[in-house]
Amino acid sequence: MTGRMVVWMIVLLGSVGLLASCGGDQAGNTGAADQDQELVYATAKDTNDMNPHFYAGSMPAQGMVYESLVENTEDGIKPLLAESWEISEDGKVYTFHLRQDVQFHDGEPFNAEAVKKNIEAVQSNASTHSWIKLSTKIVSCNVIDAYTIELVLSEPYYPTLLELSMTRPYVFLSPKDFVNGETKDGVNGYNGTGPFKLAEQKVDQYAIFEANETYWGGAPSLKKITAKVLPAGETTYLALQKGEVNFLFTDDRGTDSLDVEAMNKLVESGEFQLVRSKPMNTKMIVANSSKLDSPVHETAVREAIWHAVDRETISQQIYNGTETAADTLFSSNVNYANVDLMKRSYDLETAKQILDEAGWVLDNGDAIRTKNGNKLAMKLYYDTHSSSQKTQAEFLQHAWKSIGMEVTLIGEESTSIANRRSTGEYDLLFNQTWGLAYDPQSTVAAFSSTSSYYHTTSGIEKADELYKKIEQVMVSQDEETRKSLYADIINIVHEEAVFIPITNGSVTVIASADLQGISFKQTQFELPFERMQFE
Amino acid sequence: MGLYIVRKVCLTVPLLMVISFLTFILNNLSPMDPAEVVLQAQGVPVITDELIAQTRAELGMDQPFLIRYFQWLMACLQLDFGDSYITGEPVWSLLGPAFLNTLKLTLVSIIVIIGLSIALGVICALKEGGLLDKSVRGVSFFLTAMPSYLLAGLMTWYFSVKLDLLPTSGMDSYRSYLLPVTVIAVSYVGIYFRIVRSSMLSNLNEDYVLYGRACGLPEKTITLHILRNSLQVAISVFGMAIPVLLGSTVVVESVFAWPGLGTLSVKSILSRDFPMIQAYVLILAVAFVLFNTFSDMMNAALNPKLRKDL
Repeated sequence: MTGRMVVWMIVLLGSVGLLASCGGDQAGNTGAADQDQELVYATAKDTNDMNPHFYAGSMPAQGMVYESLVENTEDGIKPLLAESWEISEDGKVYTFHLRQDVQFHDGEPFNAEAVKKNIEAVQSNASTHSWIKLSTKIVSCNVIDAYTIELVLSEPYYPTLLELSMTRPYVFLSPKDFVNGETKDGVNGYNGTGPFKLAEQKVDQYAIFEANETYWGGAPSLKKITAKVLPAGETTYLALQKGEVNFLFTDDRGTDSLDVEAMNKLVESGEFQLVRSKPMNTKMIVANSSKLDSPVHETAVREAIWHAVDRETISQQIYNGTETAADTLFSSNVNYANVDLMKRSYDLETAKQILDEAGWVLDNGDAIRTKNGNKLAMKLYYDTHSSSQKTQAEFLQHAWKSIGMEVTLIGEESTSIANRRSTGEYDLLFNQTWGLAYDPQSTVAAFSSTSSYYHTTSGIEKADELYKKIEQVMVSQDEETRKSLYADIINIVHEEAVFIPITNGSVTVIASADLQGISFKQTQFELPFERMQFE
Repeated sequence: MGLYIVRKVCLTVPLLMVISFLTFILNNLSPMDPAEVVLQAQGVPVITDELIAQTRAELGMDQPFLIRYFQWLMACLQLDFGDSYITGEPVWSLLGPAFLNTLKLTLVSIIVIIGLSIALGVICALKEGGLLDKSVRGVSFFLTAMPSYLLAGLMTWYFSVKLDLLPTSGMDSYRSYLLPVTVIAVSYVGIYFRIVRSSMLSNLNEDYVLYGRACGLPEKTITLHILRNSLQVAISVFGMAIPVLLGSTVVVESVFAWPGLGTLSVKSILSRDFPMIQAYVLILAVAFVLFNTFSDMMNAALNPKLRKDL
């Protein structure tokens, strides 16, 4: 018996050792964040499928590896992989002259042929990309010479360059990685032209990106970037404190891994810096104007809701001042959005007055207003994974109650909220605009899209006029006409109070104090890592 | 014994069939259109009716329910659980590595749990009522009652950040095992050592112990006999501990960023990746049934009386 037990103990100990040594070969990855020019960022979501012609991958990671023809900057569209371009007079033909010194990460040359193959690969899966209107306008992509390409559209479409500048899908993958000349059924590799190349990817653990030493814009200073999958909150906070991670930023769903308090503590320690971008998007409540059995289809009710949102308190108390109060759907730094609009400030008395005038009255002793026997009651849907949305919902519920409005709060998964938005089964829900690089054109285009804001806008009096103007603005050639059309569109939705703004969101970066060159792009979904370096 | 095993195995087949059917039916009861779920999971920014129709056809959703079930079941038997809605990759290629990672963590933990439970159980039983017995029971009571995320947070802060001895998270080397295994072990040892202890105590008063002592057998030999008899109870508990651990490491995995089944299942549930959820539930159910059968067999091998029950 004793002998057998000894044998068992040896077997057990042996297996512990064997199992534990299984992962031993990756020991080098731990605690490496403090090495020279290595940036390790924490991400709650895996980098996922890096195929740039699909939407499952992490956008910040795709932004490091792939590039587009043109770049959207604060000063407008600038050259990137295309050195220059011409637009035909009728606005239907775009001719791009490509850079001649660019290579894909696998050594394949970047030329007109590669551009044609990529654009055709995207177009062959057009239904997936129908949200980006350019995909419905491209007729053909022709090679003029080795470094000149021509894009022919069915009709003039002014956001063409803007949509070509987006993180996806019009970015370029080495044709060698295509499967049967396509990218829609998976790819063989992830070789782009960007400043960093994907070196290793381990699902749900990490992805390692190495500097592209032959990058056409000069080798980046950071030599290695590791995206480490860590759950948000305590684990990420401890990993930052220990130095296993030295960078953190707002993810592509607008969520921060740490709360404001934890960020402040890290900054107070002196080892970290906090950098915040200018406002990138607007967080808002979307009201369903087409739901006739709900009070929310009345403009007066929506206006009253607008007046009863205390944005300053939300900004100061819930966001600790990290997000600023928003009075309009688009902040004034958004293109074409610097429009004079009537300000609806926080004023409960005005809200009450509007409701009174609209016939929503408080009978003696009642807490909830009624009109023709119907109660002023609505449902507000929020994302269960967003702690700030839940807090805001509770705060607003309380405020709205004081004007005689009953709001039931319902927390759901983000997919189910997206589903409600497209089917119209909601009164009010939380949402956000798409961000600087996409605003106003993509958000405005979504006003009339059935899967986005069609139910939000279709119940308003001027719905037909709004949709007509949206169609016109997308094909407008003249800058002044475009400006005036956008002003009209923004005015209509503002008057009707269907998009009730709350705060302006920005991208927040927490990084080691010795990291220099932290800046932002026009898009909230990418960061220019190639401009950063450790002192 | 051979007949007993055959009977036992035959009984598990209908049980597994029922489980597989329930797994399939539960996911099909979801109010959301799977085609829409797939498109949302893939992050397609705007979903059109045309795209939904196309995806439904691709998924074979136009087939009748029972036909879909049998097709799925037949494929599962060949370890083909379909493709993930999110990544489009075969479910097994994602679930397989995650399962292995959790299995590694589970096996290391179970070895520690069994070793510690037996050692503490035996010591406490032999020193029943003594200071050691009382303090072990007191401390274990305190530690078992502590939520594992709290314990994990405290231990990580002390051992990783303060003392800088161990990594905070991840699965990089053998050092990565120390914290998660300790956290898991602490919550189970406190329960299991009591089972060994009480079983030892009840055996201590048996006649064979008195007889052994009367015959002048050395105390060490008597203890080994008691241990052997006491372990019969513990074996069924330990046998079931493996599937229980496999299915309940989610908190520890999430705190320590361990790329295992728990993390994967939560992710799949949140994104409604039905093929992944189906495969996960099925695998865990099969593990429960198999380990239950296995511990029954072990007990039957140790105690011939049990074989007659079936």
